[in-house]
Amino acid sequence: MHAGTSTHDSHDVADHIHPPAEGFVRKYVFSLDHKVIGFQYFFTGLLIMLIAGSFAELVRLQLTDPKGAIMSHQAYNVMFTMHGTAMVWLVLIPLVTGALGNFVMPLQIGARDVAFPWLNMISFWIVPIAALILFSSLLFGGPHAGWTEYPPISLADGTAGALWCLSIFTVGISSTMTGLNFMVTIIKMRAPGMTWTRMPLFVWATFATALMNMVATVALSAAVGALFLEHVFNVPFFDPARGGSAVLYEHMFWFYSHPAVYIFILPAFGVMSEVLSTFSRKPIFGYKMIAFSSMAIAILGFTVWAHHMFPSGLAPWLQIPFMILTYAIGVPTGIKIFSWMATLWGGRIHFTTAMLYALGFLITFSFGGVTGIFLASVPVDLHEHGTYFVVAHFHYVVAGGAVMGFLAAIPYWYPKATGRMLSERLGQLGFWLFFIGLNGTFLPMHWLGLEGMPRRYASYVDFAKAHPDGVFWNQFETVFSFMMAASIGLLAFNVIWSLRHGKLAGINPWGARTLEWTINSPPPYYNFKKIPQVFGRPYDYDQPLPYRNTDNAIEPFPEYGKVVMPTPAPVGAGA
Amino acid sequence: MAQGSIPNPKIVRFKGLGPGFWPVTAVLALLSIVSAVYFLFGSLDWLLPGASQPVADRASDIDGLFKFMAVFGNAIMIFVAGYVIYFSVVFRARKSDPPDMVGVPIHDAPALELWWTVIPSLLLVLLTGLSIAVWYKIQFGTAAPALTAEVIGHQFYFEYRYPGLKTSVYSKTEPMHLPVGVPVRLLITSADVIHQFWVPEIRLKAAGVPGLVQNLNFTPLRTGTYDIACSEFCGVDHSLMQGALVIEPVAAFNKWLDSEKKAAAAGGGAVSVAGGDPVAGKALFAQKCTACHQIAPFDQKLVGPGLLHITDDPAHPNLVTGKTPTPEHIAAILQNGYTGPIGAMPNRQANGLSDKNIADLVAYLASLK
Repeated sequence: MHAGTSTHDSHDVADHIHPPAEGFVRKYVFSLDHKVIGFQYFFTGLLIMLIAGSFAELVRLQLTDPKGAIMSHQAYNVMFTMHGTAMVWLVLIPLVTGALGNFVMPLQIGARDVAFPWLNMISFWIVPIAALILFSSLLFGGPHAGWTEYPPISLADGTAGALWCLSIFTVGISSTMTGLNFMVTIIKMRAPGMTWTRMPLFVWATFATALMNMVATVALSAAVGALFLEHVFNVPFFDPARGGSAVLYEHMFWFYSHPAVYIFILPAFGVMSEVLSTFSRKPIFGYKMIAFSSMAIAILGFTVWAHHMFPSGLAPWLQIPFMILTYAIGVPTGIKIFSWMATLWGGRIHFTTAMLYALGFLITFSFGGVTGIFLASVPVDLHEHGTYFVVAHFHYVVAGGAVMGFLAAIPYWYPKATGRMLSERLGQLGFWLFFIGLNGTFLPMHWLGLEGMPRRYASYVDFAKAHPDGVFWNQFETVFSFMMAASIGLLAFNVIWSLRHGKLAGINPWGARTLEWTINSPPPYYNFKKIPQVFGRPYDYDQPLPYRNTDNAIEPFPEYGKVVMPTPAPVGAGA
Repeated sequence: MAQGSIPNPKIVRFKGLGPGFWPVTAVLALLSIVSAVYFLFGSLDWLLPGASQPVADRASDIDGLFKFMAVFGNAIMIFVAGYVIYFSVVFRARKSDPPDMVGVPIHDAPALELWWTVIPSLLLVLLTGLSIAVWYKIQFGTAAPALTAEVIGHQFYFEYRYPGLKTSVYSKTEPMHLPVGVPVRLLITSADVIHQFWVPEIRLKAAGVPGLVQNLNFTPLRTGTYDIACSEFCGVDHSLMQGALVIEPVAAFNKWLDSEKKAAAAGGGAVSVAGGDPVAGKALFAQKCTACHQIAPFDQKLVGPGLLHITDDPAHPNLVTGKTPTPEHIAAILQNGYTGPIGAMPNRQANGLSDKNIADLVAYLASLK
């Protein structure tokens, strides 16, 4: 036991390595190590992604026939509700903030762990509990009112609806705690010399995300908490029949759920900055603008929620400020896209799996951004609201943005996390399946929506009568959606197969320059034997590395059973 | 020892902005212009139903805004995707590269960054102006309404009310009617959960929120029959909550409204219960009634009471309306619905019952003992 009397002055930290955790449970189950917790988030998220993805495939199969091909309306409604709920709260948020943030961020700032490891462990274990609560609602018929669960219709869900509220409330606690934990970690635990403008951009993105997680989630907790009370104790917060306000719930819900979209996308932005710079062999273009635009998006993101409610009973004059603020978010987002394109310019581009996903992201996310401007415009939104155009926009942003960013992050950091490379051949095949499948699935939804197909329709007989081509396009989408499913299946296989059969990665297979690439793969439990000192920017590929005390890497770490010696690796050594 | 440091980096060299930059830019600009011409002058009826011949006055305004955004949005996409592909090809790593080959070590270009901040901002300011102009027309641009109709959402049908018409029109049995060329106002609300009233050809929609009345103002411009859809999830059969809208000349509309008024004045009049077929009634009961009623004693309620002894229950000698259980009085409940201390039952329009259906159901219920 350490005395704990040593001051946590940055120069003393180097003397302060705790002994390793012992025993299977403390090492792998209730681990305090941010890297193990990152793995736990990763595998939990991936597993739930497979489940929630198969729900989406059932939804797509149903729509191959205008009358509904495979299930009852009720079953269909439960499927799209569970798909959306599980993907948003139990897949995307745990994966992009939990898995990526946990594994990468402390390594990138040269820290030995996050600020509050116990809190971190609890944050993780809340997620499987919330997942069990959510999936147990299926035993009671399942919630059926969409991932938004607007009352009063969601009040018809009974026990299943109450369990839905409980699950979201629970997972919200995890988000809030993770946000707090990461903010403190980034503010207090950066390696000496790592000023704010020397932080890797992924850390900036994680900081902006943590801020949003911490501030926004409480609004959601209040909304679903009140809805829970209404379900269980009949307190009429939202039921207009008993004096409640249905629109109030929408405000509270979207006050969180619009920022939630930025919570998914900001870490993906961070991944973009790392991956595009590394594989272009070129400094990230416009570092400060990218960092500040992350913060601008995080702050503006709180001011646009009512654009989800233009036709829903908002005072008409109130539509205008929400429209203008939503347009305004286009500017920092555009700055990022243009800066990444300028990073490609004049580079020396290596087409690894990670880079392919990053390039694909630039195209699909930009498209989702542009359609977002269409939806922000009040008059045009009055036509598009509640149609497949919205579904298309949302999935271009989330699947084409957040998920693509995450899929770029996996092959990029997998070697660091496991010491082995993912198979590039499977990875690149997976990219093409995902990219083509994504566009084939969601592009036709734009015109289906504009022609008049509302979302959340278990059948579309009248629409198909007026637009016979609608049946063709729906079947077309279903076929392409299975390409995306195949890609995710391939990824799951690749991740598990490469644990044993991947090529050894070495310390720095990509020739990347942030701090995590100066230590062993996988890193020892304490990450850095000596806390490194930082005296420069992280993206100057033509300069020596701006770190001192980075000779940790060559020391053997017997507790991992294997010593990976550094290789003077050129980029793409594993390709 | 700093891992990965590059002792003698070789920096990539090329001329100007890269080989072929300007020709590629010219091609992308050309593609953007082609796309703009298509969106401004091409036929978009496949994408925006009724774009070439607007069905209502606001449709063309909204389409104009859509086209403006499509022109610039497509141009942005063409340039982003085009440059990403072009840069990927021109600046790709070569097999012959030395391992320490790096890109041009530039960190920023303030002038360029200023432009790509200012130009999109100006475009968005312009778009804000155009959007507000169209928004103003939607809110205030239609002349004082000559006709105000009400739309009430129910699970899973729309109810329409017209001035001077005592009964309602229901989307399950009849289309909504509006006169062409006359400014109309639709007041939209809901009786149960949140619904949304949407006619794609008119481009406008508004949520029917219980306890809140919203309005849509427009002038129908073209006769025809158009689909009405509920576009806010409202329950199990949300996707069946559809209706039709008939826009017709004023004379035809007035004729329709008069005939509805006459029917309403005559209606309330009893449906003939003669000639009811109990066998058809039994089949119909299974379809339409069993969600709320079962053939069981009064006390075995689902939503409404059990109907086994509806005509001969000593504990309940009268119907829930307080009237004697004659076939005519049972028919009256089926026809008008019921609202009272033990609950509510929808009327015939909501349940989609014809005169014959009512006669059959009454014959079936009267045959029960």
